[in-house]
Amino acid sequence: MKLIILIILAMFTLSGCNKSAQPSDAIVKIIDKCGDGSISISDIKGRKKSDGFMNAQVIGENSSSNYQVLEYRIVWLDKDGFKIESILSKWKSIPAYADQPFYINATSPSTKAKTFRLYIKRDKEVICDKQYDGY
Amino acid sequence: MRQTIRWILILGATLTLFSGCATKTTNIDMNNDKGEAVMGLDYRDFQGAAQDMTESLLASGAVNKKDGGRYVLVVSRIVNDTMQHIDTDQLVKKIRVGLLRSGKVVVTTAVGVNGAEDKMAMQTRQELRDNEEFAQKTVAQKGQMIAPDLSLSGKILQRNIRVDSKTQRVEYYFQMSLTDIKTGLAFWEDERVIGKRGSNKSVAW
Repeated sequence: MKLIILIILAMFTLSGCNKSAQPSDAIVKIIDKCGDGSISISDIKGRKKSDGFMNAQVIGENSSSNYQVLEYRIVWLDKDGFKIESILSKWKSIPAYADQPFYINATSPSTKAKTFRLYIKRDKEVICDKQYDGY
Repeated sequence: MRQTIRWILILGATLTLFSGCATKTTNIDMNNDKGEAVMGLDYRDFQGAAQDMTESLLASGAVNKKDGGRYVLVVSRIVNDTMQHIDTDQLVKKIRVGLLRSGKVVVTTAVGVNGAEDKMAMQTRQELRDNEEFAQKTVAQKGQMIAPDLSLSGKILQRNIRVDSKTQRVEYYFQMSLTDIKTGLAFWEDERVIGKRGSNKSVAW
């Protein structure tokens, strides 16, 4: 009897100690469209500044009645379509207030940028993936 | 016999118990790390601050030289006014790399707050000059170094605020300035604030 209690206790302790250092759902699911659901993109544009850098502006809308924190990432591409490596292409967070538009403004990491590709994600799901095809 | 089986089972359960408690070590996906936030500053905070500062600096036009050339930048003192032991290069190196890759700025390692950043470069010039063992046309001569135009300085501040008996808030301020060395005027300045709320038992240093 004592033995059974000991084994049961050990099993309970084991289940409590099974701690993963990495979230189990860390894989990002990609959906290649914008406009479905509560987050939509209404405008995406880019321009070349006089100093050679490129500006990107994206206007989106949160049509839900909830405040949301989105994350976005802009990948900058040169004239040949090659990705420009930069710290500026890391994920950044942006607030999307309920029933309001939100704005994303970004500057290219170098003067070689010609186009950019935008990714927006909520939690771990990419909900928007859109490319601006040159200025 | 029964006694032996009993002891084997107890031993087995105890061993499994201890091995199961060890946290499994995994590599962090640095590009998509959704791990728990910490009260101290971690790599995500430095990365975010460096990203914002670099973008702000490039967008400001402060590093745009009128003749199309590149500015020479020297990294000045970045004061660590937090309770943590921070190597400020965790912030500055990322900004330097970003600026260098922009094609608008080149950083000098010949000048620094505590003398030359790359001491070997300076030492080599001085030691090899007039040394007959070395072909003098391959040795850097006097008057070839380029003086910096701009200086990047900054400060990281920490404020601890007790919210209630169980909770505390810690605020971190990243402040940076870009000064034109000739005129002493700050061409660009920016600040980024990071706030964290957590248990009073957490120690932010």
